[in-house]
Amino acid sequence: MLSELLQGIETGGLLIIQDSCSYSGRDLLRSFIAAALNREEEVHVLCFDVSEDELTDGLKPPYTQRLHVHNAYPDPLGWTDHPAFAVQQFRVEDLTDLVKQASQPKPATLVIDSLSWVLRHAAPPAVCRTLQQLRKGGAVRAVVALLHADMHQRGTVGSVCHLASSLIAVAPGPKGNEAVAKITKRSKSGKVAQDEETFCITEDLTVAVLSRLPEARPNGSEEEQADPTANLTFNLRLSESELEAKQKLTLPFVFSKEKKTALLHPGPGSGRILYEPDANDDYDQEDPDDDLDV
Amino acid sequence: MAAPVSGMGEAPAERLPVNSTSFQKKTRSKLVSIPGTRPSVQNGQLLVSTGVTSLDYLLGGGLAVGTVLLIEEDRYDSYSRMILKYFLAEGVVCRHELFVATAQDNPDDILQELPAPILDDVAVPKAVEQPRLTGEPQDSLDAMKIAWRYQHLPKVQSALASSSRFGHYYDVSKTMEAEIRQAAKCHRFCLPDHVTPSSTAHRLESYSALLESLQEVIHREGFDLAAPMSKSRNILRVGLHSLGSALWGDDLCCHDKPRHRHALTTFLYGLRALLRSSLSVAVVTLPSHLIQDRALMGSITRLCDNAIALESFKGSERETNPLYKDYHGLLYVRQVPHLNCLASQLPDHKDLAFKLKRKQFSIERLHLPPDLSETVSRVSRGELASACGPSASGTKNLDF
Repeated sequence: MLSELLQGIETGGLLIIQDSCSYSGRDLLRSFIAAALNREEEVHVLCFDVSEDELTDGLKPPYTQRLHVHNAYPDPLGWTDHPAFAVQQFRVEDLTDLVKQASQPKPATLVIDSLSWVLRHAAPPAVCRTLQQLRKGGAVRAVVALLHADMHQRGTVGSVCHLASSLIAVAPGPKGNEAVAKITKRSKSGKVAQDEETFCITEDLTVAVLSRLPEARPNGSEEEQADPTANLTFNLRLSESELEAKQKLTLPFVFSKEKKTALLHPGPGSGRILYEPDANDDYDQEDPDDDLDV
Repeated sequence: MAAPVSGMGEAPAERLPVNSTSFQKKTRSKLVSIPGTRPSVQNGQLLVSTGVTSLDYLLGGGLAVGTVLLIEEDRYDSYSRMILKYFLAEGVVCRHELFVATAQDNPDDILQELPAPILDDVAVPKAVEQPRLTGEPQDSLDAMKIAWRYQHLPKVQSALASSSRFGHYYDVSKTMEAEIRQAAKCHRFCLPDHVTPSSTAHRLESYSALLESLQEVIHREGFDLAAPMSKSRNILRVGLHSLGSALWGDDLCCHDKPRHRHALTTFLYGLRALLRSSLSVAVVTLPSHLIQDRALMGSITRLCDNAIALESFKGSERETNPLYKDYHGLLYVRQVPHLNCLASQLPDHKDLAFKLKRKQFSIERLHLPPDLSETVSRVSRGELASACGPSASGTKNLDF
């Protein structure tokens, strides 16, 4: 499922890569950027966590025309007079203007590195609202964001991931450079698909999916059926001739097939009460003694 | 005593269908009967169907008019959304009016996904064993030889159903046709249209805007109980999707100690007061798995009349448990209201599981099959000997 997501996120989708300090999801984020550039899409990147050089390291030069990096790393909070991009600008109107003025009419993919930075300096409900409006609006085709799950409270992480249409939670894998990804994908019809894969990222930012983790469910061993006729002091088993005799025995109250089905499926008109009211039967429910001639 | 007939010798007002009896209860009440409602057999309250017949049974026959049903959402909001759609679809079929409110999505998204009603025939839940065909051999293992009269009864009485039919069945694989849907009047509330968000507001405005809009609709369309009774009355079904989530501007789900702690509880208090004084019924869904403060969750539950919680197996470790393989999730009934009475009718089975089938959302009792394995009820002989006798040898048989 990871390769399907790399091939394209549906329009209006929000993909969140959730990582922790034990394994950084930034390489996976960069491979998403590389895959989007390979597909000839316009990509806008908001850089908060690391510098622009570090983020674009490894992305091939011919593609960088379609890549617009808004570098908020030097001055994210707008302390100088002319910040390239500041956290206060993380609003629907500003982001839409930013995306529209740079690129062609084709809607762009917005990559946020990382959403944790924005959540530290803006209220989570406002961030959620911005993300939801960005998805629904036309300027941005899809949003990919990196979220450091151990930096926020559980409720915040839960609220943001609740909005996501796809969620990839990465964790360190069994061997050195491998990682395990737990992928959850919600479709518009409400269906949820989940998967767990091991992957590693190569030098040129392609993701090699190594193996699907096998369904690690311990198969319950077949319990031996208890044989109640064993180990008894009397004989409960039947020999062949005894079995035949048993089959031939006619039981009392055994009806033929037709009578059985007739009794099991009562036809219409059996067991109903048809009542035609009589003139003498009209009386007021409130006064039960109304028909007494006293 | 014979049952009375309405009117002395007059023909009854409606022609009864052919296959029912001609008994008719003489009603003297002056209440105008509203389509799609019926009085409760327990306390006389006016009930509407939630759209899911098993849920009606759990709530004591239906949802009482003037109450709120709180649905605690499952993790991916699939089944709670389904129940909300059933509720709204039932409103369309019974010709009630609808009021749908969402935070950021368009309410029309929910309205376009309503399931199609099965109008011609009621889908009767089939018994577990199918009736036998006449050509089958007599001594097949499934046919019962001696107890053949019980052949059609299900092995375990697990489906919850009441005897009389109230509420409709829906086919989930099809959406409701546009003509049926547009015949019903629907009021929409989408938060961005009503409130311009400003981050400096210290009071949450989204819930008060919603309450004002609802009050305005109730007053304008005449659902107030204070309005004159002469014209025909109808019920307003209110569906509030994902209240309390971050999209409403509330940080209840985001922070452990939310800043607007009492915004949602104040809203629910006002909502219940509004509903009690009007002919409306509300279903509210809430992402309770995101709320970290359990005391607040408890007070939210207390403020709503009926409360159920859904837990779906998707993505949890219960998915592989063989006990749960037939079901899609568990359902907990958190609260059932006492309306004009001292005690409420709690369902007597607490372990409930639900399953979304194509034509029915069924809620069943979770029952454990009898465990016939050897290890369960047999005490090994060694243990018995060492428990009773003074000797420590474990393998001796007890000899009497």
